Amino acid sequence: MLVSEIDMITPSSLPECLMQLSKEGRIHRLIAGGTDAAVRMKEGKWRPEIWINIKNLHELRYIEESEDCIYIGPLTTHTDIIHSPLLQRKADVLVDAAREVGATQMQNMGTIGGNIGTASPAGDTLPALYVLGARLELTSLSTKRIIPIEEFILGPGRTVLKENEMITKILIKPQKPNEIGIFQKLGPRKAQSISIVNVAISLTLDQDLKCREGKIAFGSVAPTIIRARKCESMLPLGTLNDELIRNIAKIAWKEVMPITDGRATATYRRDMASALLERGLYRLIRRWNNH
Amino acid sequence: MKSIQFIVNGKECTVLCPPAKPLLDVLREDLGLTASKECCGKGECGSCSVLIKNEVVCSCLILAGQAENQVITTCEGVGLSPNLDVIQESFIAEGATQCGYCTPGIIVSAKAFLDGIDHVPSVGEIKTALGGNLCRCTGYTKIIKAVQTAASQKISEPETIR
Repeated sequence: MLVSEIDMITPSSLPECLMQLSKEGRIHRLIAGGTDAAVRMKEGKWRPEIWINIKNLHELRYIEESEDCIYIGPLTTHTDIIHSPLLQRKADVLVDAAREVGATQMQNMGTIGGNIGTASPAGDTLPALYVLGARLELTSLSTKRIIPIEEFILGPGRTVLKENEMITKILIKPQKPNEIGIFQKLGPRKAQSISIVNVAISLTLDQDLKCREGKIAFGSVAPTIIRARKCESMLPLGTLNDELIRNIAKIAWKEVMPITDGRATATYRRDMASALLERGLYRLIRRWNNH
Repeated sequence: MKSIQFIVNGKECTVLCPPAKPLLDVLREDLGLTASKECCGKGECGSCSVLIKNEVVCSCLILAGQAENQVITTCEGVGLSPNLDVIQESFIAEGATQCGYCTPGIIVSAKAFLDGIDHVPSVGEIKTALGGNLCRCTGYTKIIKAVQTAASQKISEPETIR
């Protein structure tokens, strides 16, 4: 299939889009921001007969809060996330992560639904969504289900999304006033880089820097994002001082399961996972003390 | 083939092209607007940057059908000699261009950035705003200087010339 032979349908509403997705006997694919889809089309990897263009389906672009839940539309761009006062206050780690996606152009184009659907082990918003306990609403013409993001992503580029389904909502738990998060990324350069290792941390802190509970999720060190459960279990052991932070960082070295690829070796990734977690915890504490 | 309409640099245009053709190719081949350049073709270099509704995007990754009825501004729309924008004047004055391949993309990014702020930006702010635009000649020093010069001129002579 040549690029010039690919057709495009632009549904004007979600029901119309779901109807298009349910049509059988043809090869179609969703395209939103295009930052992955258009690249894959050019590389020859994705050549559907029809693009279902949802770039301007505005009913799926929103950030709302109600009854202890934040709802994010899948077509919300990274720029929308960065500028959202609600998310800055109640999902700081996601705002942090969105800032690290590509650069201005990619942040303006790329969507959070796309970042999730692409399911790259290096996807920058994913570790943040893991520590925020994100759940995804998946909808088809006749079904609707809500599943945790951990169950959605199966491996690099592989998800449980069925052919006729799409992500229609992202649900996250808002942070409480004593919860604080941070996202740290290592790439070859500051802007426009794919993560070599990234980590999202979210802590519930008491006044004396004792951590009541914490979540840590690493990206780019396993086939999917992984939660560092052993590190997490060490967080409430005492005041977050130099000794405890260094010990937690050491455990991270053992807990991640990276591979060697074109971007870095496995050993380097282990070292950097440990360093990023240590740096992240220090920066988080500094941020906590300053606010 | 589809008949697709856009508003490019303030003018309504209708183009007959495959809907999956990248917007960049439509601008260059069908509309003859060759300021935007293709370099990496995958959103890493920023040479193809254009504005859609005043937001900077990579035109190489937007398909023509996705840009239907959108308001698009290319570097030609920012300013053409002799009516150059203050940003373009500053790039000339500061010598912030060498081979020129990346320059239109950088001008467009700088335009979106400066339109969104009302102060002279710091070096750090400019680096973040232009992080998606690569230049292999200049080393960026003069580009950053030119953006600062443009910002201070915009503030000292608000909207007089334009």
